[in-house]
Amino acid sequence: MNIVLKSFSKISSISKAFFSLGRYARFKFGSAMLLIIAALAFTSMLAPPTYERWYYYQKDLPPQLDINRLDLILGTTTNGRPILWITLNALANSLYIGVLTALIASHIGLLIGLLAGLARGYKESILITMIDSFVSLPGLPLLIVLAMALKQNLSIYFIPLILSVIAWAWPARNVRSITVSVLSRDFIVTSSFSGIRFTGILFYEVLPYVIGWHITNFINTIIWAIGMETALAIFGLSILSKDTLGTMIYWALNYNALFRGLWWWLLPPVLLLILIFVSLYMISVSISTYLNPRLRGGSGR
Amino acid sequence: MHPFIRHLLNRSLVTIVTLLVAFNLSYLLLRAVPTSAVDAMLGAIAQLGQRIDPEEYMRLRTLLLELFGLTGSPLDQYLTYLRRFFTLDFGPSFLAFPTPAREIAVRYLPWTVGLLVIATMISWIIGNMLGVLVSFIRAKAVSRIFENIAIILYPIPYYIFSLVLIYVFAFLIPIFSLSPASMPQVRIGSVQELLDLMLYLIRVTSLPAISIIVISAFGWWFISSRTLSLFTMTEDYVIFARLRGIDIGRIRSKYVLRSIMVPQVTALALSLGSIFSGALVTEYVFAYPGLGSLLYQAIVLGDYPVALTIMSLSLIGIAIATWFLDTIVYYIVDPRIRYVR
Repeated sequence: MNIVLKSFSKISSISKAFFSLGRYARFKFGSAMLLIIAALAFTSMLAPPTYERWYYYQKDLPPQLDINRLDLILGTTTNGRPILWITLNALANSLYIGVLTALIASHIGLLIGLLAGLARGYKESILITMIDSFVSLPGLPLLIVLAMALKQNLSIYFIPLILSVIAWAWPARNVRSITVSVLSRDFIVTSSFSGIRFTGILFYEVLPYVIGWHITNFINTIIWAIGMETALAIFGLSILSKDTLGTMIYWALNYNALFRGLWWWLLPPVLLLILIFVSLYMISVSISTYLNPRLRGGSGR
Repeated sequence: MHPFIRHLLNRSLVTIVTLLVAFNLSYLLLRAVPTSAVDAMLGAIAQLGQRIDPEEYMRLRTLLLELFGLTGSPLDQYLTYLRRFFTLDFGPSFLAFPTPAREIAVRYLPWTVGLLVIATMISWIIGNMLGVLVSFIRAKAVSRIFENIAIILYPIPYYIFSLVLIYVFAFLIPIFSLSPASMPQVRIGSVQELLDLMLYLIRVTSLPAISIIVISAFGWWFISSRTLSLFTMTEDYVIFARLRGIDIGRIRSKYVLRSIMVPQVTALALSLGSIFSGALVTEYVFAYPGLGSLLYQAIVLGDYPVALTIMSLSLIGIAIATWFLDTIVYYIVDPRIRYVR
């Protein structure tokens, strides 16, 4: 009974937070866009198997509005593949890579950050030096060499793992500084003197402060991962046989799409990427504004 | 101990650890590859359509094994790779055969460094000035517009924005021709030649520079300096200065802008790596003759010595630049550190 009540109050507090986020115009815009993007990504499952075949359609067809041939609504590529289905599948794969990286990297970062915040003495300095050096590491050159060596065995499950090697450091750094500042406050001393165990303090006193930041960081890591995969793909170092938004750009640049006037090949992935980044970032900004009242300051809301 | 010396030692330690982490990470991961990386690379080279006869194949294989330091005992391998990583000596390039890869990379380096330094400095200065200025604007609507523009621009990577720029300025309104720029002969004999070189540089550099400056100035530097400035305006010493009747312009430049510079220099030092990564892709997209374009060629044609050289060159370069910003420049902008006894 007690557990039911507790979980009910948790759910109601989460939904309350969600509704108060709904007051922000940015949050509304961002989530509406994200819903549309997710819906588009799900329609990729309807793609006919023939869409992967080369020269099944006529090549270099410009976009056309024809009710009977909906798959040609965005035209075709130089390989005679319909751009509509390529784009939808690419969108789904890119989102998949982004979410998986965020799941792995941000949680590793959360764990190491908490550990570094709690550690004392030489352990603390080792962890800090480690985190600081990973933060200032330029990711792309390192990732390029890795992807170059791994090019033959890359898969859509493997890329998130490679990206996570770099991505955990930034959340770890921030989680550590939040943990340290929370631990120095009076109520921690009070709760520790009143006999609450260490794990209790960690989960009920420290974690609530960290979790809000963790959510915004989760969203920002999705943005980072999709951007990084795109950067690798533009250099031809992603899974070139699969469709992601990055490999779409790679092939469009490779076939000189823009200079041959095939703008409908390059623009869909570019516009979709911008849309994904902007809508995700708007959600993350509104969450951090909601969590940190000082930021609401001059914005007039 | 003087706090600056402590800071200097601390940052130097972090820099050394950064380099060691980068080195060990690339060493370990290149060896953790499930199948032999070298055979995979040879497969990739064979796919490019060159016919390789067996003798040549074995010679190339030993060359690649030696290049990645895969010959000899594990300790030998480690030491060889260590030496190569820090001296940038990855042997001759495969494509331009007798020329050392280091020489090729160093030839492209000034272009990348030039673009990066100019674009980063301009965007840092413009972004911070604009952020502080906008935080003083009383009209809510105006500052709201700026804020929304910044929030839309910030998450977009440079290379995605540069594709939009290319579409607009080379396809819709053909102002810039985007034929690949070649490296000009730097030979300055007369004023005319100097002018030509300058014009050429401006023409080649402007679009990549614009895509970096617009995104980072109106994105992150604007957002962060505006937030910092709003915080600083409510500090006691600023309020006291206003009550004393000090000119508002003086408060803005000497009290607010000055105190924002300290955290912003640290932020610049920390983000140098990601700025560089973004600029690398942007260079390739614009066919700008820098390390990005060289890296693309090296990857596509399987020129591993050049690619490895570029990797260690950029890792070492970024580490040193970060160290410089976070110690020397930090010392200059933060007076608290200078006057402590």
